Amino acid sequence: MPQVLIEVDRLTKSFGATKAVDGISFEVYAGEIFGFLGPNGAGKTTTIKILTGLLTPTSGRARLGGFDVVRQPLAAKRILGYVPDEPNVYQKLTAVEFLDFVGDAYGMSARQKALRIGELLALFGLDGAAGDLLGSYSHGMKQKVLLCAAFLHDPKIYILDEPTVGLDPRSARLLKTLLREVTARGGAVFMSTHIMEIAQSLCDRVAIINRGRIAAAGSVLELQRLSGERTLEDVFLGLTDGVTGTGMAAAARGPLPETP
Amino acid sequence: MLLCAALLRQRYLAARRDWAGRLVYVVAAAAGAVLFACIALMSYAGAAYLRHAHAQALLVSIPAWAFLVYLFTDVFIAFGQALGDLYLAADVPVLLVMPLRTASIVVAKFVAGVVTNEVYVSAFLVPFVLGYLTGAAAAWWSYPLALLGVVVFPALLYAALASVTIVVLRYVRADKAKEVLWLCGAVVPTIFWVVSFWGVARANGDITTLQLPAAPSWLPSTWVGDLVAAGATHDVWPAVGWFAFLLATTVVACPVALAFIARGFLRGYSEAATNPPAVRRRAGHFGRSSALRALVRKDVRTFLRTPQLWFGHITALGFIAYLLVGHRAQTPILPLTVQLAMVQLGFVAMLAGLNPGMTALSLEHAAIWLLRSLPLSAADIVGDKLAVAWGQTAILVCAGGLALCYGYHFDAPHTLAVVVFGLLMAAVSVGCGLAFDATYPSFQWDNPNAINRGIRMVMPFLSSIAVLLACALVLGLARVALHGAAGVLVGLAASALLAAAVVRANVRRALQRVACLEP
Ligand SMILES: Nc1ncnc2c1ncn2[C@@H]1O[C@H](COP(=O)(O)OP(=O)(O)OP(=O)(O)O)[C@@H](O)[C@H]1O
Ligand SMILES: [Mg+2]
Repeated sequence: MPQVLIEVDRLTKSFGATKAVDGISFEVYAGEIFGFLGPNGAGKTTTIKILTGLLTPTSGRARLGGFDVVRQPLAAKRILGYVPDEPNVYQKLTAVEFLDFVGDAYGMSARQKALRIGELLALFGLDGAAGDLLGSYSHGMKQKVLLCAAFLHDPKIYILDEPTVGLDPRSARLLKTLLREVTARGGAVFMSTHIMEIAQSLCDRVAIINRGRIAAAGSVLELQRLSGERTLEDVFLGLTDGVTGTGMAAAARGPLPETP
Repeated sequence: MLLCAALLRQRYLAARRDWAGRLVYVVAAAAGAVLFACIALMSYAGAAYLRHAHAQALLVSIPAWAFLVYLFTDVFIAFGQALGDLYLAADVPVLLVMPLRTASIVVAKFVAGVVTNEVYVSAFLVPFVLGYLTGAAAAWWSYPLALLGVVVFPALLYAALASVTIVVLRYVRADKAKEVLWLCGAVVPTIFWVVSFWGVARANGDITTLQLPAAPSWLPSTWVGDLVAAGATHDVWPAVGWFAFLLATTVVACPVALAFIARGFLRGYSEAATNPPAVRRRAGHFGRSSALRALVRKDVRTFLRTPQLWFGHITALGFIAYLLVGHRAQTPILPLTVQLAMVQLGFVAMLAGLNPGMTALSLEHAAIWLLRSLPLSAADIVGDKLAVAWGQTAILVCAGGLALCYGYHFDAPHTLAVVVFGLLMAAVSVGCGLAFDATYPSFQWDNPNAINRGIRMVMPFLSSIAVLLACALVLGLARVALHGAAGVLVGLAASALLAAAVVRANVRRALQRVACLEP
């Protein structure tokens, strides 16, 4: 049995009256890429923010590598690489200064930093702009800097919130390769995405979350077999009160809704 | 019109949401009321004293100068505000792609800007006018007239300042324009002030013949001042005349300025929206640092690369110049002692430390998630913020303190006492500001000078002022009880204890808040 690296147990988060996350539980094992799918506002980002220590859960527990994210936040964060959904960075630092700062926060040595920063910037094709202020970077370039920051200290656990949004095809491919290498070395990846193709081709297992609850979880094949749908997209639409292919056709045949 | 109302409503709602906690509202309202009452009472006392001392000339020359001071302060604030409201506000791109005429956007933004200024006016000028008129036993009709004049005043001011902003944008690159405007806003009034008061300092004689030099008659602040002064002297026709003049100028100037702004708006906007050109810096070599040192280095770099953050300090230094000049005028009333100089520098230090303290966390902006997701402890974060905010203030306090003591001809031990007291007060205001910022952070802003708009300023300001007053009291008591060096030393030691207690309490609160911050 592989080691459990991410453990989520009956996690709940309420914002006032809305339950953004409603008692979800799942586990992510070493060596796997776990996809987190769900419609807009389903609670993906909220879950991820709890896992990374940005939000405190209303109830329930989350552990990274055995460390409780609420009780042992520093230990949990040390083995974590995180890329948020929006690439907000320090506008007044250059890419190199930014990565240097992140390296220091993880307690990396000078040699390690020099080696890794050069390597990652070159890998993502940022070495030409490494000395520019991040404020002058494009959306995708900032995203790449954050990917560099997440890979910098070679963590065991990666948590990525829609990491491919804004990346060009070459960088998206590079990211997939890097994530595969991570799992080959025994790491775990937890990523949210809206792109079914990525989920289908990259993820070993997926969970579909809808209105804060997990509607289904398992490997893509299992989900297809269970629901009897042909593609992951059909499974997704069927489970998240979206209209499936056949349903759409029926809706199209019906009378047009009245416009106000 | 509709757009105006929509923008105002949206700003009002945003302000309300910022202050969602009920308690905060109550405390802020109470703090505002205290400020209002203090200004009104002080103006009343001053005016009444001068009236009983038959210092008619001085009494009459005060309003124009009071409004001039407000005008200078406003120049400093409003340039940034005009630039921020018109060009850097996040909603401008959205408004621009809507099918709206540029002119209506400009008008709506203008009205919103004037309304913001009216808030300042009602907090600072209205209590002054009320206190002054009552103290001077003014005629009844002067109250409504003066208040109306005070309400009209900001529109004229803002029209002029917004026009200057547009002109500057035409000749100076947008990324430099902000700095140029803030620099003008700080330097011009300071020079003007020093030059004008130099004359007073030389004016000899007793209080009944003393008067302030005539304020420049082309400034609208002088018109409002003369309007208020005419109320004090029961001259009804000059008062009505000044009011009519003010109103007429505003009615003519605002549309002209708005037409001018609307014409240059689109071009100015696309310039202001242009990002500064990429700055190429050496890659540098890497050294290993602790998390705290890495944080400090990051914040120092940000400070050095963000000129908007320096200008608060430049104004604070301007204060030293005011004090040096002002002291020559006030000597007969208030004897210059080491203790007085300590409190003076303490006040400057408090003002200088407030902004760095109460923006320390908010300056993280949208990147605040990073501090929370990296393995950094709350102690690291708070320690860094304290060090950077206090450090920049300390440099200013040392420079300002040395200048002040040199000007006052103090010897080395006295200079040391003054500077140490300044450093203590800087720590107090940084601490109060930081605790406040950790409790009510604001990570969504368009430019760093907009973080502290409005009521946010008031609470840390009042709490640090209270500590300063307590320390001033302690210093005074120690001076009376134990003369000479012993008095200074004991007063300083007692102040240090008080300051340490305040800083400790605030740091504790900041630590708690940072630990459960949810960006
Ligand atoms: N800070 C907040 N305050 C109040 N409600 C929030 C907050 N953050 C999220 N929510 C609510 O929680 C729910 C889940 O939001 P979340 O951001 O987790 O969705 P998501 O699955 O990431 O959606 P998307 O695919 O659009 O990124 C939404 O209903 C949202 O309105
Ligand atoms: Mg999301």
